[in-house]
Amino acid sequence: MAAIITGPKRPWLTLPFLLPSWTDSLVLGSRRHQSSYRRTKQRLRVKPDASFGSSAERQDHIIYNPPSSAPNVYHTPTKFLPPDDVRRAMRPEEPVKQDVESLPGVFKKVYEKKYHLNPSDIEEIRKLRLEDPMKWSRHKLAKRFDCSPMFVAMVCEASQQKKEIQKQVLEAVQSRWGAKRRMAREDRQLRREAWGRDM
Amino acid sequence: MKRLQLQRWSNSVLSTRARTGSHLQHHLYNAVRRQSSTAAAVQPEFSTGEAEHETFEEIKLKTILRRTHSRPNQLKYPSPPTHAAHESAKLAALHARLYLPSRLPYETLARTLVDASADQDPNFNNESLSTLGHDLLTYYTSEHLICTYPRLPLSVIFASMYAYVGPKTLTAMTREWGVEHASSPGGEVDPGLLQFQRLAPGTELQEKEDGPRPYQSQPHWRKTVTSKIFYDNEFGDTAKTAAEGVSADQASATFVRAVMSAIYLHAGRPAAKRFFQQHFLSRHLNMAELFNFEQPTRDLTRLCARENFERPVAKVIAETGRKSRHPVFVVGIFSGQDKLGEGQGASLSEARERAAVAALKGWYLYSPLNVRLPSAMEEDEAAPWKPVHVDLGEVIV
Repeated sequence: MAAIITGPKRPWLTLPFLLPSWTDSLVLGSRRHQSSYRRTKQRLRVKPDASFGSSAERQDHIIYNPPSSAPNVYHTPTKFLPPDDVRRAMRPEEPVKQDVESLPGVFKKVYEKKYHLNPSDIEEIRKLRLEDPMKWSRHKLAKRFDCSPMFVAMVCEASQQKKEIQKQVLEAVQSRWGAKRRMAREDRQLRREAWGRDM
Repeated sequence: MKRLQLQRWSNSVLSTRARTGSHLQHHLYNAVRRQSSTAAAVQPEFSTGEAEHETFEEIKLKTILRRTHSRPNQLKYPSPPTHAAHESAKLAALHARLYLPSRLPYETLARTLVDASADQDPNFNNESLSTLGHDLLTYYTSEHLICTYPRLPLSVIFASMYAYVGPKTLTAMTREWGVEHASSPGGEVDPGLLQFQRLAPGTELQEKEDGPRPYQSQPHWRKTVTSKIFYDNEFGDTAKTAAEGVSADQASATFVRAVMSAIYLHAGRPAAKRFFQQHFLSRHLNMAELFNFEQPTRDLTRLCARENFERPVAKVIAETGRKSRHPVFVVGIFSGQDKLGEGQGASLSEARERAAVAALKGWYLYSPLNVRLPSAMEEDEAAPWKPVHVDLGEVIV
């Protein structure tokens, strides 16, 4: 009973399907054409982009507004052009936008090459690595001789025995991997190979 | 870009139409003659009047005579006889479709379609033609590649040679030209079909046992790229053959090469060059996609050291969302103040490697302006030769 007394919450006019059919034309006629047209027009009135040139510029000019994209590999950098190539003279000196030194590097630390190891040091590296490969790993040798592990790898190679052991360790670790992890590792490897093909 | 020579085009169309009228009748007539079961069905067409009745009798007699004489004759040969070339509609259509010079006769075009596996006789198969055509194609392609991109690494040259004139490309061209394969070679087949002895299904092509390469029997011997120039073919592959028959790819490749040399022999060098330009060089090949670098950063460092440039340094040009799930980094590789390459990726190392790849491609894909090929000197009244750019070679680490 209470529901009937309070009545419907929405007014009748907002629910057109409740109205009799002859009122259709009335509802249609009450739309506000004039004002909504003006508003739409106003919103569409947008200033052209600044790159299209100021309106004060009266003479004809070419609008060159390429989308941002990676540089074309067929466009040889000026440094790579041979000295007798005409394009060296044709290219204007590019204004330096930003000093290269001020740009952040990819690595946190930049290691300077020291060139401080003697042939006797290198002999010692080789001797230590052959003597006890488990104790003197690449990283330990690098720390002791204050060089990079890459340099140790360039100078000497691990013994065949050590390689075998390392292979077994790797296999033991990989045997514990499930399907998901194995697939993720393989995918990562494939993605890495795709970088070199630029794909 | 195909050159349109309207005058000659309309000429050739008119002349072939004029000729094909009679050829078509010949061909129909021959086709009817071959199928003995349908010969009776065609008879009422001719027997309308009494005067023509005699001719019909004559035709019938001739048909029988010809059938008895010519069919065993045709079956006797391993490939269609020379006079059959003028009766083939397929051959005339192929000649017109390829817009071949009118100086190239149908007989030669028919010969280019006969593989050595179909007819052993070197006077009737296309082996000698294809040898010349192969030399022409590889010469024109390699001079184009080396002069346009003088810095290309050897493996990329091999890949691009394969893309331009490799057997797969030539097979695709044969299909595009509308050349069909005869199911089995013989004297009675239409000379407009490509005739070759098919390879038995499941046969594997094998390398020659006594090839030029030393230590070939060593299975784990490393084949260097440099040794491929010397011992292998122009694509850097070892030639593979089967004991009997050839594959469809090989036969199609031989045919296209033979067509090239037939044009060269009958219509001359300019026509052959034009044919090469229109059918081979007009195919688009993106050279930048042929590269594969394993350690681009190391190669770039070696290159800069060799060319006395400053040591390349990777710098972050722009980045977004470093701590998010999908970061994007734009890394440039600089040598001194000059940017060599730019790459973007989801990690710093990816962006750096891609930038190094872009820089290396920028080096290798250098192309001089106004390239002139050595073969341009063969033409009359050619301008004096200026040496082309010769590069030091690829980076060796």
